[in-house]
Amino acid sequence: MDPVVERTLVSALALLFLVAAAHKLRAPSAFRDQLANYRLVPKRATQATAAAVVAGELTTGLAFLAPALRLAASSAALVLLFGYSFAIALNLARGRRDIDCGCSGPALRQPLTPWLLVRNAVLFGIAAVCLAPVRGRTLIWVDAVTVLGGVSALAALYAASNRMLANAPALLRLRDS
Amino acid sequence: MLSALLISNVLLWITVVLLSGVLFALVRQLGVLHERIAPAGALMLKQGPKVGEAAPKESALGLDGQAQVVGGPASDGRSTLLFFLSPTCPVCKGLLPALRSIARSEAAWLRVLLAGDGPLEEHKAFAHEARLERFEYVVSPTLGVNYQVGKLPHAVLIDAGGIIRSKGLVNSREHLESLFEAKERGVASIQEFLGRAQDHTGAA
Repeated sequence: MDPVVERTLVSALALLFLVAAAHKLRAPSAFRDQLANYRLVPKRATQATAAAVVAGELTTGLAFLAPALRLAASSAALVLLFGYSFAIALNLARGRRDIDCGCSGPALRQPLTPWLLVRNAVLFGIAAVCLAPVRGRTLIWVDAVTVLGGVSALAALYAASNRMLANAPALLRLRDS
Repeated sequence: MLSALLISNVLLWITVVLLSGVLFALVRQLGVLHERIAPAGALMLKQGPKVGEAAPKESALGLDGQAQVVGGPASDGRSTLLFFLSPTCPVCKGLLPALRSIARSEAAWLRVLLAGDGPLEEHKAFAHEARLERFEYVVSPTLGVNYQVGKLPHAVLIDAGGIIRSKGLVNSREHLESLFEAKERGVASIQEFLGRAQDHTGAA
């Protein structure tokens, strides 16, 4: 894999996990409620699980920033993403679609939909690609433009698609009436 | 050649990033728009029996010649949506499709009753032309007076116990639905609901 591709994807994932952790750190009680709504762990263990998830996201995000830790970070990201997908799929199967996904903080409520699984599958694929060996090559200034542009575009597109998922129920209500 | 490609590449990246930014802003605006589409409410007029009071009970002649009871506790436990209309009111006609779909989807708890006044023959012709055979339709000169209906189309939601739950001038499907919303939320009208919301924000 070319180092530019690797830099772009790794930086994007670092951004993703750090932003996710920041959301949860800024509203810890809201995240605990969201997690409790998933009904995955006993009530008493919710607090500890919430702390573990935030710590996992934070360390994964930071590890992506260190080139030496790339493989470890990618593996951790795969584990986290698999966990999220499992939790979402489980609650979709239970029919608990109205709970908040908890994807983007308390400000942007987002019900569970199968599209979240698609989104997570894409992220899973990106994290898996980051496990591939990187070909060495000297980077020049235009590579920096590519990485910067790529990360910004991916971040904006991710945020936009998240918003679209959050808007979907409102749109559905409008259409029904 | 190489520098031309480089320049084009850099310009393309700038364009892609700008486009993604614009896309995000657009989707965000959509979200704000969805939030701002507040429930439009049926305008409640002050006159007539008030919300929370018992609906005046009376018997009115149906188009089929049978007398229908309006008001009072319902024998089937359903609420009644009393919809005042007139064959000469274009807004009423525009609301008929919405009324049809409401009558269908809410049939479990809601009985839709059309009411008008004036010559029976005119209403019969109107019902035939607008294909309202499936609705219960009464014509009574006193019904509109008792509810003090000033402007049409006017709707009154009466619960199974015969109590008026919400009422108002309805000009759109949203207004009609706001009556149900008002009943569910236990407020008399959307004006009262919005007024309460303002009081809350004012107090905070």
